Amino acid sequence: MSWSNIRSNGLSYLVVGPFAIVLAFPFYWMLTTMLKTNGDLYNPENVPFKFTTVKGDPEGRSPTFDHVSFIFHHTNYVRWLENTAFVGALVVVITLVLAVPAGYALARLSGRLGQSVGVGIFLTYLVPPTLLFLPLSRVISKLGLQDRLWSLVLVYPSFTIPFSTWLLMGFFKTIPLELEDAALIDGCSRLKALWRVIFPISIPGILTVVIFSFSLCVNEFVYAISFISGSTHRTLSAGVPTDLIRGDVFFWQSLMAATLIPSIPLALLYNSFLNRFIAGFTGGAFR
Amino acid sequence: MADHDDELEELGRTGGLTRREVVRRGLGSFVVLYSGALPKTAVAGVPKFRHRELKNSLRIMQWSHFVPAYDTWFDNVYTKKWGEKHDTEVSVDHINLAQLPARAQAEVAARSGHDIFGHLSPQAGLEDQVIDHREIVEEVQRKVGKVSTVGRKSCFNPKTKKWHGFPENFVPDPVHYRKDLFAQVGVKSPNTWHDVLVAAPKLKAIGHPVGIGMSNELDSNMALIALLQCFGGFIQDANARVTINSKGTRDALKFMQSLFKTGMTNEVFAWTAASNNQGFLSGRLALAMNAISIARSAEDQNPDLAKKTALLPIPKGPDRRLGLEHVMGVYTIWKFTSKPQQKLAKRFIADLEMGYASAFKNSKYYNFPAFPKAVFEYRKRLGADPHQPKGKYRILDTIARKYTVNVGFPGYSNAAVDEIFNTYLIPQMFAAVAQGKSTPAEAAKAAEQQMKKIFAKWRRLKKI
Repeated sequence: MSWSNIRSNGLSYLVVGPFAIVLAFPFYWMLTTMLKTNGDLYNPENVPFKFTTVKGDPEGRSPTFDHVSFIFHHTNYVRWLENTAFVGALVVVITLVLAVPAGYALARLSGRLGQSVGVGIFLTYLVPPTLLFLPLSRVISKLGLQDRLWSLVLVYPSFTIPFSTWLLMGFFKTIPLELEDAALIDGCSRLKALWRVIFPISIPGILTVVIFSFSLCVNEFVYAISFISGSTHRTLSAGVPTDLIRGDVFFWQSLMAATLIPSIPLALLYNSFLNRFIAGFTGGAFR
Repeated sequence: MADHDDELEELGRTGGLTRREVVRRGLGSFVVLYSGALPKTAVAGVPKFRHRELKNSLRIMQWSHFVPAYDTWFDNVYTKKWGEKHDTEVSVDHINLAQLPARAQAEVAARSGHDIFGHLSPQAGLEDQVIDHREIVEEVQRKVGKVSTVGRKSCFNPKTKKWHGFPENFVPDPVHYRKDLFAQVGVKSPNTWHDVLVAAPKLKAIGHPVGIGMSNELDSNMALIALLQCFGGFIQDANARVTINSKGTRDALKFMQSLFKTGMTNEVFAWTAASNNQGFLSGRLALAMNAISIARSAEDQNPDLAKKTALLPIPKGPDRRLGLEHVMGVYTIWKFTSKPQQKLAKRFIADLEMGYASAFKNSKYYNFPAFPKAVFEYRKRLGADPHQPKGKYRILDTIARKYTVNVGFPGYSNAAVDEIFNTYLIPQMFAAVAQGKSTPAEAAKAAEQQMKKIFAKWRRLKKI
């Protein structure tokens, strides 16, 4: 490795390193907090970044897995994870089925009007759930979907589709028109051109939609708390604050564990498709 | 294409496994595991009759009690027994207390929801959405005696003569203080607000400030309205006329300004309902005003701190010693609930209140019945608590009987008081003075103007 390589890599790490530490630090904080005993956590004389066993602590030695096992044995945490995965998966599928053709149509087939309609669709994403949850409660009630996960499956696309349509619109516009024209000239129908030529090139954009839609579903709180009241039917975002924040008592260690655990697969997901995710945002189908 | 070639090359070099491949396999395994669990997800919704044995159903919504054992008892023991006796499947759903108002509004908007909704404060603003709970109150009164004044004044509207809620319980609000720290600074106890003012700078100097919030949250509301009362300041009089702009209010504002400057820290302007708990439990705060969730949490988390923590009634002010209920458990039945369900709900509420001893015990003496004679021998029960120092909870009986009134005292907890409470006008008034943005006179006058508008609005709606 040459000196110039070391210098350029070293400079990169010098710049990126502090950012990485700052961004990773909350995860480290969550990891250490979730394993601390109460005596260790609530003692202001203890260093928060390491484990210290306090003499006479009723929970014994720090670290401990008691607070992590609490969420698995004394709450419906596993059920919340399942529900979240179920709702997220279905909403992603619905979003793709609707947003991909919509994004393509607005990008290719609608001319100038398409641009305005696309922006208009995106603006609906900006309407906050805190305004909509009341009228939507009535809709959900009329449909007989109260306390059912289907209520979330019905409502979540209302914010995933606008955002995804707008995102895909921009992405489809970066795909050269000549590719489609070539396919059409070669005898493909519009639909076949879409399926055989456009979609494979659009994988980065589609993956971006998948990841974003799933993340939006996992993080959504207002609808989840308004439409579903039974603990076994809750998603993670509603179940965790309900069962682990009781009145003015926060079960901090369990809260940290409950939020760190689902972060891991999301982090794996992002990392797995990192290059395509970046390509999805920045566009570019030039080969 | 280029990525794929690089990957093939990498595989050749590394013997078959790249970092990206490891991550993908890990993720794939995770997806497989998740998918295996999917069939168990609650797609079908809540089963109406789990065992197909019970004729009726009853749905209750209430907060996640800070004592998890109370919810365990309520959900798995009490409601099951009651349900078997009344051929009813009772299901209880819980929600964080901060989300109760939003959930209530969602059910009102949907015209559909739980048969019984448990609030943590009187809901005069929802009067038009709920039935008149008079029948339940009268039945319970016939069996166990009159409702307490705090219960009556919280849930009864003297204008419309309607019980807009059933007062199930209230929570006395003691002051928690560190005996050891107060002794260290030479003050025996925070018996009066003057004692607090004397001790505060010395406590702050040794790193243990006093903690009374001035934020838009429940504890700040309760503490500051109670402090006002001790100085003779009140939101309204007995006839629902705004009286906030008084000498008592100005004196209370001046007092709090001094207390903040000498004995508190800036954090009190950005607190949540849990902040004073956390500050006290971490050993930092020397004094906090809160229900016994602080003391009970200390017993579980930090027994050494629990031994050093003492409880007293609210400190006495120049005018009187008078506090508020920390929260009030109010059950409501929506108007849109069907008549058969309303009947069942009334039965449940009445039975719960009439046999309140178990609820009192399982809440670790947090829930005091709004009908005092529903439980007997309070001092004996409280004195039997095994935690050290023994007998410390007996003071709750004194606080509940003598020093607890409703929000809006000497008037009723009407819709205007409800709105003032929910928009945090009192903490904002105190914060403005403590931060030097207003003088006490200006702040009291501004609060008066805002409150008069609110009262006028509810008078027009004929609720006051």
